[in-house]
Amino acid sequence: PILLGVGLPLFPTATKNLRRIWTFLSIFLLSIVMIFSLYLSIQQIFISCIHQNVWSWTINNEFSFEFGYFIDPLTSIMSILITTVGILVLIYSDNYMSHDQGYLRFFAYMGFFNTSMLGLVTSSNLIQVYFFWELVGMCSYLLIGFWFTRPVAANACQKAFVTNRVGDFGLLLGILGLYWITGSFEFQDLFEIFNNLILNNRVNFFFFTLCGFLLFVGPIAKSAQFPLHVWLPDAMEGPTPISALIHAATMVAAGIFLVARLLPLFIVIPSIMYIISLIGIITVLLGATLALAQKDIKRGLAYSTMSQLGYMMLALGMGSYRSALFHLITHAYSKALLFLGSGSIIHSMEAIVGYSPDKSQNMILMGGLTKHVPITKTAFLIGTLSLCGIPPLACFWSKDEILNDSLLFSPIFAIIACSTAGLTAFYMFRIYLLTFEGHLNTYFLNYSGKKSRSFYSLSLWGKEEEKKLNKNFGLVPLLTMNNTKRSSFFCNKTYKISNNVRNKIFITVENFGLNTRTFYYPHESDNTILFPILILLLFTLFIGAIGIPFNQEGIDFDILSKLFTPSINLLHNNSQNFVDWYEFLRNATFSVSIAFFGIFIAYCLYKPFYSSLLNLTLLNSFQKWNSKRIRWEKLINFVYNWSYNRGYIDAFFKTYLIESIRGLAKQTNFVD
Amino acid sequence: MYLVFTTNDFPWLTIIVVFPISAGSLMLFLPHRGNKVNKWYTICICILELLLTTYAFCYNFKMDDPLIQLSEDYKWINFFDFYWRMGIDGLSIGTILLTGFITTLATLAAFPVTRDSRLFHFLMLAMYSGQIGSFSSRDLLLFFIMWELELIPVYLLLAMWGGKKRLYSATKFILYTAGSSIFLLIGVLGISLYGSNEPTLNLELLANQSYPVTLEILFYIGFLIAFAVKSPIIPLHTWLPDTHGEAHYSTCMLLAGILLKMGAYGLVRINMELLPHAHSMFSPWLMVVGTIQIIYAASTSPGQRNLKKRIAYSSVSHMGFIIIGISSITDPGLNGAILQIISHGFIGAALFFLAGTSYDRIRLVYLDEMGGMAISIPKIFTMFTILSMASLALPGMSGFIAELIVFFGIITSQKYFLIFKILIIFVMAIGMILTPIYLLSMSRQMFYGYKLINVKNFSFFDSGPRELFLSISILLPIIGIGIYPDFVLSLASDKVESILSNYFYG
Repeated sequence: PILLGVGLPLFPTATKNLRRIWTFLSIFLLSIVMIFSLYLSIQQIFISCIHQNVWSWTINNEFSFEFGYFIDPLTSIMSILITTVGILVLIYSDNYMSHDQGYLRFFAYMGFFNTSMLGLVTSSNLIQVYFFWELVGMCSYLLIGFWFTRPVAANACQKAFVTNRVGDFGLLLGILGLYWITGSFEFQDLFEIFNNLILNNRVNFFFFTLCGFLLFVGPIAKSAQFPLHVWLPDAMEGPTPISALIHAATMVAAGIFLVARLLPLFIVIPSIMYIISLIGIITVLLGATLALAQKDIKRGLAYSTMSQLGYMMLALGMGSYRSALFHLITHAYSKALLFLGSGSIIHSMEAIVGYSPDKSQNMILMGGLTKHVPITKTAFLIGTLSLCGIPPLACFWSKDEILNDSLLFSPIFAIIACSTAGLTAFYMFRIYLLTFEGHLNTYFLNYSGKKSRSFYSLSLWGKEEEKKLNKNFGLVPLLTMNNTKRSSFFCNKTYKISNNVRNKIFITVENFGLNTRTFYYPHESDNTILFPILILLLFTLFIGAIGIPFNQEGIDFDILSKLFTPSINLLHNNSQNFVDWYEFLRNATFSVSIAFFGIFIAYCLYKPFYSSLLNLTLLNSFQKWNSKRIRWEKLINFVYNWSYNRGYIDAFFKTYLIESIRGLAKQTNFVD
Repeated sequence: MYLVFTTNDFPWLTIIVVFPISAGSLMLFLPHRGNKVNKWYTICICILELLLTTYAFCYNFKMDDPLIQLSEDYKWINFFDFYWRMGIDGLSIGTILLTGFITTLATLAAFPVTRDSRLFHFLMLAMYSGQIGSFSSRDLLLFFIMWELELIPVYLLLAMWGGKKRLYSATKFILYTAGSSIFLLIGVLGISLYGSNEPTLNLELLANQSYPVTLEILFYIGFLIAFAVKSPIIPLHTWLPDTHGEAHYSTCMLLAGILLKMGAYGLVRINMELLPHAHSMFSPWLMVVGTIQIIYAASTSPGQRNLKKRIAYSSVSHMGFIIIGISSITDPGLNGAILQIISHGFIGAALFFLAGTSYDRIRLVYLDEMGGMAISIPKIFTMFTILSMASLALPGMSGFIAELIVFFGIITSQKYFLIFKILIIFVMAIGMILTPIYLLSMSRQMFYGYKLINVKNFSFFDSGPRELFLSISILLPIIGIGIYPDFVLSLASDKVESILSNYFYG
């Protein structure tokens, strides 16, 4: 009961404290919520369900809405996830955003987002879900458009909102349809009535299926499944902590959450389940293929998020509720880790290549960062490995379960899913290798020459950079630079992180003059950035443990399934039993070998290129391959953009048509 | 002319109605003392009036009584049996309060008006009287007179203050509305002369009367045309964008906030209450029209270059929800329609106000010339974003509740077939997708980006305390209704039931 009560004070927009204090306050509140939700979930292990209505909202004789709680294991897991990731991201973004003018605004949005997300997972009826669902969408709109001066961001946020709105449209219609059928919004009543109706076969089955599908449209849009995924990559225009929190860990998981919540409803309609898994598998494949050729590090991660969400949908569609949620949790932690790591990289790259997202997030300009950002590198590597499904790490356990289940479900899906697992390994390592291995590519643009528009001749380089730095809205650290050509330099880069930063750090980076060229290296990020990364690292390492089945003793014992089995045992009520140890091992080796295969390919393709820059033939071949790939990807992008924009074109066409008609009507009217 | 006291109560409503116009004419006859005096005088009058209304309603209005309250009944013109008959019920109390609120704010918003401000403010006050009069009249002819009374100030306001093409749009407005008034008059006279030997104009008496079917349909069409012009129903809406595009923004606030609602109010008050059979006959068509209107206006809106016209189309689109709610003939539907009347009154007025203030800054009305205003005017930007969110029915704001309840109204309505309902809802929901497209692209074109292309050496200043106060005071009820809609719903629900009981038992 207090959970929402604690969640609500997070609504911080009106308050205008000092910004530091404010941050601490929101972090503090969020931690309280986290502790509370932890407590709840521990309670959950022993007690099954708490359901409580708090206050009724609108009472009339014919309709009433009630605000309430519905706390079950699903809710508690989700709320733990949200709060932990939320706290870490808040701590992280405290530093990340400290240069930004909109610091306070940022935290206001974040608090609002956390509130509505918690509201979403605790809500007890569909109307409440819809309510918070839209609020979450709005927060995402605001946060994507956070840097509103960028036209790209403006477009992206609008796109995100409209796409989400399409999903909301489906969701609303589905809710209304269900209301019409059952006359209730409460989940539990809903399920009961629904099952009764199905059993008695009293309703139009087609209409049922339609409603179910419409309900599913909402999650499609929210978790970026196939036809409506277009907004997610664009959403990376927002600040990186946002990408970590919203577009990797929590908000996109809301769709999965809703499907999981409504699974008792979907499960009685086989065609819906089939659609869910189909869309899941399409998304898996599509996300993975699109992720192959991204230049922007965050976009690459976004596509991989999409693909992983596809895995979850697939799992849900197959009815393996448990593995989907398991993967949801593990993925959320590892992906948040990856995003925060990439944020830290971007932060350090910004100083070098300038503030423009075209450059600071461009993986081609990165490379060889291992030396300079060792901690981030380790974290990123772990995240990558985890996402690839390498044994000791989190995602291995969950992904393996999904693959396993898909094998049971249908061989075609299994083949696709497994090959995509290989692809996942491939593109994740591509990102990793491009970013960290080799040499710092910024200075070798002339050699690589892959980006035609960033041909800076070496002599001009210093000037170029200065110019760029000046454009940075005064947010980028002060830079003092002695620039005298053809001599050895001493470069003091003074990072003046705003004055009220807790631990005022002046980092002075010694310049390593390499013969004639001037450049300085990216630096490791601040402690406040590193701290959450490390915590997440721990999570990634050990979260897998909660789901590991300890099968040796012959008893199924793992925390997760204990949590979930009482709440749902419909299809796989004995899902754990048939995974005996041998089969598990076999599957595991299979998937791991696929993963390694993918890694190996990536290594072959990318590593040599960077280690041997002078090897021109390889470079050329690679370049050709890469450009082809990019072109291909552009084609795909083009197709999607086109198919997306067709809606707009239609709208405009209709508009103009209508307008001309209207003009005509107006004229005749006026003549009268 | 002589008055007969038939009520024991203090004649609150008469005072409320007569007070603004008399105070306004007082201002007209007093010597001219400069703009500032006029402004403050008007604002004081408005606030006084608002307080008076609130006081009267607080102490004399009983929530749980669906009948007419605060009624007054004076014989005005003797031989014609014409009474000065007033009274309020749950239906009109909300709109009267809305009128008071919006008019006060519009007066406050009209601060920068300097040209001929005495006349301007007088007209504002006259309009105030007319609106409250028509909302609270209990007599058909009185309703008609009040209806006409507020047309004249609007016409003058349009014709004298506003953009370049204001004369054209004012003429268009007056042609449309005068044309509709004829239908209204015909309807009024026809209804009053029918049946009994004595001409009756009392609404309560008329409500219990029944008519032959053809006659009822005829009356219904007459009234429908009259109200369709006022609350623009689709083929008759073309005056609205023109008018809004040209008018001064405080006039726009009044137009969008109150004037449009009069049409919807009349639809409920006369068409639903007096002519239930015809209404249940017409309501499927009305519903179709409303749905078309939502889609049509929402898809026309993105094609508009003019900022105010775009908002005008958005309000046309939102009026579609009201029509659908009214024609769904269910308890939730009608409640939703009333809630939407009030909520759109706030939201529309606030959007026009913000558009007007940003126009004051940038002096451009065409959206494709704007851009990058967010840096220079962050407060207006914030308010605008919040209000467009409210307008596209974000949960927590009043628009969401209203639309949701209208949706329920259709779902629960017993009258229609399943396929028809599905179709209607589906199309309405498409309108829900179109709304963010035009609203967000509008705000994107206005505010996002970072440079102003066409505007040179122009110094922006962010909204001052007056504007901030204005927009926040509109925002508060929007959020308030959004979070606790019972506040408004409880006012009207009893009345709604009593209206609807006609349909099920009558």
